[in-house]
Amino acid sequence: MALPLPPGLTPSEVAFLCEMELVTVIPRQRLEGLELLGGPTPALQPPHRTTLPLWLALLLKRQRRANISPPPWLLPTSLTAILEFETEHSKDAFSPPPPLPPTSSTTAPVSPPFLPSSTASAPADALPYHWLEMGNLLLEVAPDDFEEPDQVRRLLRDLREVRMAKVRKGVEVLDAGGGVKMNGVGGMEVAEGRAFIGGVIDGLRRIGASREQARKESEAEERENGYAGNASDDDDDMDL
Amino acid sequence: MASYYDVDAILTDSHKLPCKFMLTVPGLGYIDGNVGEDMKQGTQVELPLWLGEVMAVSAVGTQLIELDLPDALSTRIMNALQADAKTVDIRALAPHFYTLAARILELFDEKGMVEILDEVLKVPKRAAEIADQAHNPRGALGEGAEFLRGLDETERQLFRVAHDSAKAVRTWMTELKKA
Repeated sequence: MALPLPPGLTPSEVAFLCEMELVTVIPRQRLEGLELLGGPTPALQPPHRTTLPLWLALLLKRQRRANISPPPWLLPTSLTAILEFETEHSKDAFSPPPPLPPTSSTTAPVSPPFLPSSTASAPADALPYHWLEMGNLLLEVAPDDFEEPDQVRRLLRDLREVRMAKVRKGVEVLDAGGGVKMNGVGGMEVAEGRAFIGGVIDGLRRIGASREQARKESEAEERENGYAGNASDDDDDMDL
Repeated sequence: MASYYDVDAILTDSHKLPCKFMLTVPGLGYIDGNVGEDMKQGTQVELPLWLGEVMAVSAVGTQLIELDLPDALSTRIMNALQADAKTVDIRALAPHFYTLAARILELFDEKGMVEILDEVLKVPKRAAEIADQAHNPRGALGEGAEFLRGLDETERQLFRVAHDSAKAVRTWMTELKKA
């Protein structure tokens, strides 16, 4: 009853999870491969690009030991295209998430953060799960790696506004047993909308609880009657 | 289900319900303000939900009292909600409107169906407005103030969580800039 934190993740926890994502870095210094708990990192050779987890990339960037190359979907052109898709072509639905790689029977199906959804080879036309966190973290730590950081920042803010408006509009069509299509919604957006949407659903559930109860009872009754009893039989039962 | 110690549930239970005595009860007149008198058959009194529920359900032989719908859930209010959900000041009707409605729907079986349908339609309309107001930084001060004053406790909680989660994301973004 008195849990200190609401259910779900706080924004900083979502951002922490985002730091597991792989990004492409251009090292400026040599660094041997590190044997970390999360697995070995590739050795850094200055002119060659490598993929590192975001947290390590941010650390190296802050120490001016590497440059981060922003993922293709974070370029102004891609963001403009996605924003246009969100506002013009699909006014109700979110833009689709990046496609999953074809699954084969030999390997286990992979999902983020084990997909390279934010490296230089990521698809340019779809926002990955951690788009908002990734975009904000990169813009804060490595604005000089963007060609037009201010424009990217503005586009990210516009996208966020458009998509949050859609999440809120989804609330209008909710009912106790219904759902909102959440395909393509990012982690931070889920974290932001969870408390409110959960609360609305819970309120609807409580209002509808008695109807649900009545439905269950009538179903149980039907089962007892072996589906043989017709409507008039049911009425007789009710009178008793 | 609501916790035993849930203050809102307790307050909901204390909401007054119009009741009609079906029997004459000796010495119970003090409920109606006639100390020492008998409670006459057919007297209308307002009893708290928890008391009325117990007395109406635990009938021995004949029913002791008959419950009626509270004003807050009357047909008139339902019609008003149906016409325009956002203009009804449900806080003035009942501070715990939704929890009260849920409790009443448990008690009134056959009438319930119509109301449930109404409620299900109403909640999301108001909820969408709540979400909009919660994300609008000037909402609580400016034009939204009138609407927000009419929210019941359940809706206020919704407003609070919507506002808090939006604020948490904004805080995270600004803290990122400082770090």
